[in-house]
Amino acid sequence: MVVEKSKAMPMPIKKTNVQTMKKAQRKKKMAPYLFVLPNLLIFLIFIIIPALMGLVYSFTSYNGVSDMKFTGLENYIRLFNNAEFWKIMLNTLIYAALVVPLVFAISLGIAMLMIKEMKARGLFRAIIFWPTMISFIIVGLSWKWIFGDSFGVITYLLEAGGLPPIKWLSDPVIAKITIVIATVWARVGFFMVIFIAGLQSIPASYYEAAQIDGASRSQLFWKITLPLLKPTSLLVFMLLIVESVKAYPLIFSLTGGGPAKETTLIVQYIFEFGFTKSEVGYASAMSVVLFLLIGAFTLIQFKWAEGGKID
Amino acid sequence: MNKRNWSSAAKVIIIAIVLSLAGCGQSGDGKVKLDFMWFSDGGEGEVMKEIIEKYEKQNPDVDINLVEIAFKDVKTKLKTMIAGGKPPALVRINDTYEFADYAIDLTDYVGDQEKFISQFEDSIKPFYVIDGKIIAAPMDITANGMYYNKDLFKKAGVKVPQTPEEIWTWDEFTAALKKVKEKGDARYPMVWDSSGHRWSTMMYEYGGSLFNEDLTKAAVNGPASVKALTDFKKMHKEGLIPDSVWLGGENPNNLFRSGTVAVHLAGNWMMGSYKDITHFSWGVTYLPKDETRSSVPGGKYVMGLKNTGVEKETAKFIQYLSTKEVNAEYIEKSLFLSARKDNKDLNYPLDDHMFDVFTDEFKHTTPQAAKDWSYQQVMNKNAGDLTTGIAKALKGESTPQEALDEVAEIFDGTIEQNNKQP
Repeated sequence: MVVEKSKAMPMPIKKTNVQTMKKAQRKKKMAPYLFVLPNLLIFLIFIIIPALMGLVYSFTSYNGVSDMKFTGLENYIRLFNNAEFWKIMLNTLIYAALVVPLVFAISLGIAMLMIKEMKARGLFRAIIFWPTMISFIIVGLSWKWIFGDSFGVITYLLEAGGLPPIKWLSDPVIAKITIVIATVWARVGFFMVIFIAGLQSIPASYYEAAQIDGASRSQLFWKITLPLLKPTSLLVFMLLIVESVKAYPLIFSLTGGGPAKETTLIVQYIFEFGFTKSEVGYASAMSVVLFLLIGAFTLIQFKWAEGGKID
Repeated sequence: MNKRNWSSAAKVIIIAIVLSLAGCGQSGDGKVKLDFMWFSDGGEGEVMKEIIEKYEKQNPDVDINLVEIAFKDVKTKLKTMIAGGKPPALVRINDTYEFADYAIDLTDYVGDQEKFISQFEDSIKPFYVIDGKIIAAPMDITANGMYYNKDLFKKAGVKVPQTPEEIWTWDEFTAALKKVKEKGDARYPMVWDSSGHRWSTMMYEYGGSLFNEDLTKAAVNGPASVKALTDFKKMHKEGLIPDSVWLGGENPNNLFRSGTVAVHLAGNWMMGSYKDITHFSWGVTYLPKDETRSSVPGGKYVMGLKNTGVEKETAKFIQYLSTKEVNAEYIEKSLFLSARKDNKDLNYPLDDHMFDVFTDEFKHTTPQAAKDWSYQQVMNKNAGDLTTGIAKALKGESTPQEALDEVAEIFDGTIEQNNKQP
């Protein structure tokens, strides 16, 4: 080591010194890009390029194997005239309109309970977080065992108690509620964790000061917790909307999209066209519409919340 | 990351590359490697493995690799592999049409085309002879039929038809179901696979069809089909069939297995799965009739794919699988029905009578049923729409007439689209 040092120490020529400095600067400039590179490559190869290809496909008639044929806007015209597509879109929006506020409110409520000092807090947190670690397909299948119309656990219990069974999965309206229940159960834990992190970053002194001034509990929530939680809320909102508009595996394994397409959401519909009916071009047009929809939602929210700035 | 981590990471990458290269083409020991994409309904995968082992012993230069995947993934996976330029050598498949362009024409290998085709059941010919090419070889045929719980019928004192002469009419059948419900403690008298294909059994018996005779227009909204759907709905309303299968997505196989369901309308492929039921005895009986008797035929095929570099070996193996002896072994052990005309008297390890019933159903199938369901250009795409249409009628969203009108419109739309882009 000592030898190396003595070798490096004398740097008599000025020119070399400048060069090394430039090199070092260049290196410093390069470094961040190098760190981003792996993720950028993955993002490019698996997200951006396929997305662009999807955009190209959406203007063609393509079955996934044979040659593509350019058809212009035909897929989009067909799509806008397809009443079923809009019905499925409505299904998706109803689902999102139920899931987003429910998961938001419940996970925030639980998070507020879970930051309080209490016995076995870790255990409760773990139990509520648990469903997040189970794959959506397993969640769907588990709920199918519980809600099953003929041999479900609830049906068994109701009948044992002399009550009439409920058509959890085969009645159109109840089935729509069933998938919401299953989703809420599966997702609350994840957002609870995000809210806990957000709540813990609010300084306790604010609450203390407000309490001394005689603020009520609801005032504490509306005047301190909620405004200071805005960045977290925005994140949760955006994640929830994107997630619920894209929901597929859980519902597919729970209801299969039935009864008669009542719980079929947009992604399942796209999958059906793209892979079962081999209309890749048409399915791509649908996903472009879905992309625009999610993009618009996110943009509106972002603008509305001013990027999550705290007032 | 220090040097050691880098070098171990490099090692992992090199190993991954080597492994992925080893996956294709000829294997290192000079053997010709054939990937065989396979799905199983029951235990037929194991049977095929035994057959492959025997074949490999006789042909030491060939190495066949059975790649088992789920039935529902077959088409997607195959499409991806073809699009990626690396198709498997062979695939077991039932929707042949879509891949006809990518299949080896076996005519070049089997010698006399007519002679080869004449060995198999005539009604399935449209599935494997497309544009004058033999694009696949039939392995087994399927027929829809009825399984029944012997114990429940016995308890209710209802006799089940044992010979073709005793076959129920639909009215007699529903009366029998009602009796089993009342006296036999059947929780549900009947379950019916949630599939347009299985429902169409009733439609053909009522004299309906999906398309007109020359397959140029949908006929599924004709009066006979509508009547069949109306009666089907009535069976649900009367509590003979639970809503949970067609509307709630419940698995009818599990319901029948529970021993509380008297009848299951499914296909012969369920025998392999039901053979291990021990807590009640079950059997197979003839489907009821209306205007006529009918079942719905189907089948599974083995297709060889082009552009693999091993076409010759592939074709040779397919021919081996199609021979009378090998086919008989496969069919007997898998509890299937053979596609070969000369393999009808086999020694199954289960009650032979059940196979006779299914064979009889297959024989008494209206030719239109084979024609309709082998019209793959439409049915590959729209079979699911038929199932959805029926569910819509059951749910009450539309009347049977409206539901089937809508299905007919979808069928016609696909026909028109196909005519535009041949």
